[in-house]
Amino acid sequence: MKHFWREVGFLLRQRASVWAVTLLAGLALLSVGLGLHDVAKQKAAISQVIDLQKQDSAAIKVFATEAGDAAYYRFHPTWNPPAPLAFAALGQRDIAPSIMRIRALALEGQIHENEAQNPELALPGRFDFAFVLIYLAPLVLIVLFYDLWSGEREAGRLASLEAMPLARSHLWFPRILARFGVVSAALIPVFWIGALISGAGLRDTIAFTGLIVALLGFWTLFAAWIAKGRGGSPTNAAVLATVWFAITLIAPAGANLVINATTPIPDGAAILRENREAVHDAWDLDRAATLQRFYKFHPELASSPPMQRPFEWKWYFAFQHLGDQQVESLSTFYRTGIAKRDARAGLVALALPPLAIQRAFHRIANTDLAAQSAYQDRIRAYHTQLRTYYYPYLFLAKPFTPADFDATPEFSDRLAE
Amino acid sequence: MGGQGLDLRDLVVKRGNRNVLEGLSLTVPAGQIYALLGGNGAGKSTALFAALGLLPVTSGQALVDGKDPAHQPEAVRASIAYLPETVALYEHLSARENVDYFLSLAGQIRTKAQIEEAFAQVRLAPAVHDQRLSAFSKGMRQKTAIALALLRQTPVLLLDEPTTGLDPQATQDFHTLLLELKSTGVAILMVTHDLLGAIDVADTIGLMIDGKLASQWHARNSIPRFDLQGLYAAFTHARIGNTSA
Repeated sequence: MKHFWREVGFLLRQRASVWAVTLLAGLALLSVGLGLHDVAKQKAAISQVIDLQKQDSAAIKVFATEAGDAAYYRFHPTWNPPAPLAFAALGQRDIAPSIMRIRALALEGQIHENEAQNPELALPGRFDFAFVLIYLAPLVLIVLFYDLWSGEREAGRLASLEAMPLARSHLWFPRILARFGVVSAALIPVFWIGALISGAGLRDTIAFTGLIVALLGFWTLFAAWIAKGRGGSPTNAAVLATVWFAITLIAPAGANLVINATTPIPDGAAILRENREAVHDAWDLDRAATLQRFYKFHPELASSPPMQRPFEWKWYFAFQHLGDQQVESLSTFYRTGIAKRDARAGLVALALPPLAIQRAFHRIANTDLAAQSAYQDRIRAYHTQLRTYYYPYLFLAKPFTPADFDATPEFSDRLAE
Repeated sequence: MGGQGLDLRDLVVKRGNRNVLEGLSLTVPAGQIYALLGGNGAGKSTALFAALGLLPVTSGQALVDGKDPAHQPEAVRASIAYLPETVALYEHLSARENVDYFLSLAGQIRTKAQIEEAFAQVRLAPAVHDQRLSAFSKGMRQKTAIALALLRQTPVLLLDEPTTGLDPQATQDFHTLLLELKSTGVAILMVTHDLLGAIDVADTIGLMIDGKLASQWHARNSIPRFDLQGLYAAFTHARIGNTSA
């Protein structure tokens, strides 16, 4: 250990190294601070929406004496609370909604409506801890490693150093370990502070820490391998920077393009449009026929009496339901396509360690595509609950009282778990 | 100090398709200085690297204090202090920190007093002991490196062109120091272009041509210590031969 600490001290005597490591630690601290702030903001927004929705529902309750009024006017909050480690890897949370207010109307349009909102905001990506780790930490390791051997050779010291007994165990191994250790020390404690503040579980924190070590270990071994070669310092720097650029930026972006091109999916706006058109067209269709189509999905409601008035809520909600049925195959295609793309990205990640680790971060932080899909599944399950709760009031003339208004099912973020 | 000195036996070292050393044999007993002369590319520095175990030996054997670097590289390096042609220590460290650092690499600990004593022995002024090396002249760097070699207390000392770039006074001081070291029983192999310096301090002078020991002269107990005429003639011939090659 004394050789390790000697090399740490030696490294910290070099001004450029100190600057690089301090900058990295500062950026890590900033990313954790911003991540915690974002997560706190999301949590606050969720609880604020839940509170405000209660006030909104109370106002609707005053005039919603019919089940149809309640089902039409009343919004129901759903939310996807951030996992404790979301602060470190925001993942999909910056582009996917963490709160959705839904009504008992056609659902698919409501779900995909969000995709039409400012997608440009997602382009720059988020400055989070995972970004610092995946994109910036390797650059600092490259700075610390590229001239590890060549710098000594170019300064004429290499022979003197190699001539020392136990150079490998007393010098090179501690030097490599010191660089790895210093970069780890700039990142891991900062992450731990964030994990402690966010109340992350020990198991996830250890797993996340393991991934940090694995990523830094990968770059350390690779950079040391390149640095050990016969190339000069500029050559080593160029090779390392090129590989960094290739495997953290170019290859994932290229793979993404190929996956998207070979795995086509309908865009969310198309589902929204078709869902809306199906609903709007229903106003001009034969009402009895609409209801008969609906009863095929809900035969238990087929005993409902024929419509007596030009507008009845049951007809309105029947064609809302049929609107969802109309886009069901498109929606399934969309969801399976997204899952297929994600699975293919997982295969690509097997060859790209930084990408694999980034995906693992998002999985642990519950901010990946799977987490977002699971949230949508919970919304769908809840929406089904809502519909089936209202249908007896709408179709079977079950009296709708204020107590029934209060007994409307509420969303639980553990519904589908 | 004492020890078994340095023994190179019929060493052959290949680099690519070329034999850089072609059967080099020489012996440096404990308490003696061997000056190895030769033109550029004669293989002098390669002989040092082979002794250090930094280059693989194709055939033959090097024995450093009785140990073969091919089989006991770490033990050999623990027995050798090596002073390269260009003394390159760490510029951002002081003389004392450099010495401390390299001793630590060698797994050796020396007291502050021992370090001060070594600096005094090489005549490095106390005022500069804690100055960064970036402010040092070549002579001062050389002295720092020699102090390090002294502190290593190894039975064998390898020197690669040690007086290149030193002024006459520094060269004289260096030779005095070598003689002091020799008197403690250290075996010293010095690769040099400096014929006069070699005549001044060496017990044996060897002349290398094309990877082989072409001639060897032993010091006499009379003045002049060497056959100067023979030495100059051989040395000049070797240089001309090397130049024309």
